[in-house]
Amino acid sequence: MVIRTVAAFAAVVCFGLLLEMPKRYLLSAGFVGGAAWMVYLLVEQAASNIVAAFVSTLAVALISHMFARIWKAPVTIFLVAGILPAVPGASIYRSVYYIIQNDGSLANHYLMETLQIAGAIALAVFVMDSVFRLIQGRGKGERFCQSHGNTDIPDWKGGLPEGHRRG
Amino acid sequence: MDETERKLLTETAVSAGEIMLVSGAEIFRVEDTVRRILQLSGSSGTQTVALGTSLFVRLDSPDGSGITVFRRIMEHSSNLNRICRVNEISRRLCQGEISLETAYRELGKIRKDIQYRPAVKAVGYIGVPAFFAVLLGGTWLEGLGAGIAGAFLACVCYLAANLRMNDFCINALGAFTVGIAALILKSWAARGMNLDMVITGAIMPLVPGVTFTTAIRDILNGDYASGTNRMMEAVVIALAVAVGIGGAMALMGLVQGGGQGW
Repeated sequence: MVIRTVAAFAAVVCFGLLLEMPKRYLLSAGFVGGAAWMVYLLVEQAASNIVAAFVSTLAVALISHMFARIWKAPVTIFLVAGILPAVPGASIYRSVYYIIQNDGSLANHYLMETLQIAGAIALAVFVMDSVFRLIQGRGKGERFCQSHGNTDIPDWKGGLPEGHRRG
Repeated sequence: MDETERKLLTETAVSAGEIMLVSGAEIFRVEDTVRRILQLSGSSGTQTVALGTSLFVRLDSPDGSGITVFRRIMEHSSNLNRICRVNEISRRLCQGEISLETAYRELGKIRKDIQYRPAVKAVGYIGVPAFFAVLLGGTWLEGLGAGIAGAFLACVCYLAANLRMNDFCINALGAFTVGIAALILKSWAARGMNLDMVITGAIMPLVPGVTFTTAIRDILNGDYASGTNRMMEAVVIALAVAVGIGGAMALMGLVQGGGQGW
């Protein structure tokens, strides 16, 4: 397991080169990836790979949000790095491959796996985003010009702006 | 803010959004960045719509007219460095640290910015398969095999990008090369090697796992059109890879006779 965790670290650093990861974040991104895979392997021993993907992504999202605040970088950088090992890239390829091979049941199996794992990862990121949005509140979010999503939509108290009301 | 400045502001906002969309940022992040830049005008009448393949921005003027700009997004890739730099520029612009002109010029530079040379990228293409094969539970032998297949992949990707091939062809050709390399290794060099593990590891730089997950995240955030858009993008990439690997297996089956065909 130690070997596989170290491999995850190295794999994420190498993937960082392909994804044009900013140089100064390469190693910390690798750390996130290694941590993610360690959690995944630990949880996988007790539960299914879907639960493992969910829990490890929760950890990734937590670390990513913390790193993003420390270095004032977009969360995406660390998030992408962290979910790389667990992401169902091979499953989606297999699903399409078996469709071409005319093997319906295997194609179905891998399609389900893709949706489940990608869904679990997306849900975990979503949960952690929402938690951080709650903690941070509306006002403080301004400090990092754009660390978050739709927190402040311009006020439309008077309905449509002047320009649109003209017949 | 006069009309010229408003035009420049809109152009800056749309450029920032375009770079982020091309680089694979989430839809809500793109719209958020564009909206924050537009809000510098002080006008509450701003609209931003980002779809996977297009970006629409409108800024209302006090006199009742407005500026509408839209862009067609043709290419898609993952480029974290660009996302990071656009984020930095937009943050400094919003805090008033840099002027609008500087921000606009900087954004123009980011478009052409490539951080790693092809040789460094090649290390990535070799390292990703090798380490992914081990990470997925393979032995050092499978890691080595995947690394060798990755070296071929690096060459093909470099050549294909120079020939300005489209993405589908690059992915299919890359997967085809990986498949051939893995099958040759398996039959003539290392018979004990787990072929499936090697191929899975070696196609890792190509397969759209992150794209697919981002698609589901977009859908969860309520960006249904863009999410579906990205999902289709992922399926097409996976199709290209599957065609490449399938072609390699069929070809090797023919060469070796009686092998696994279609």
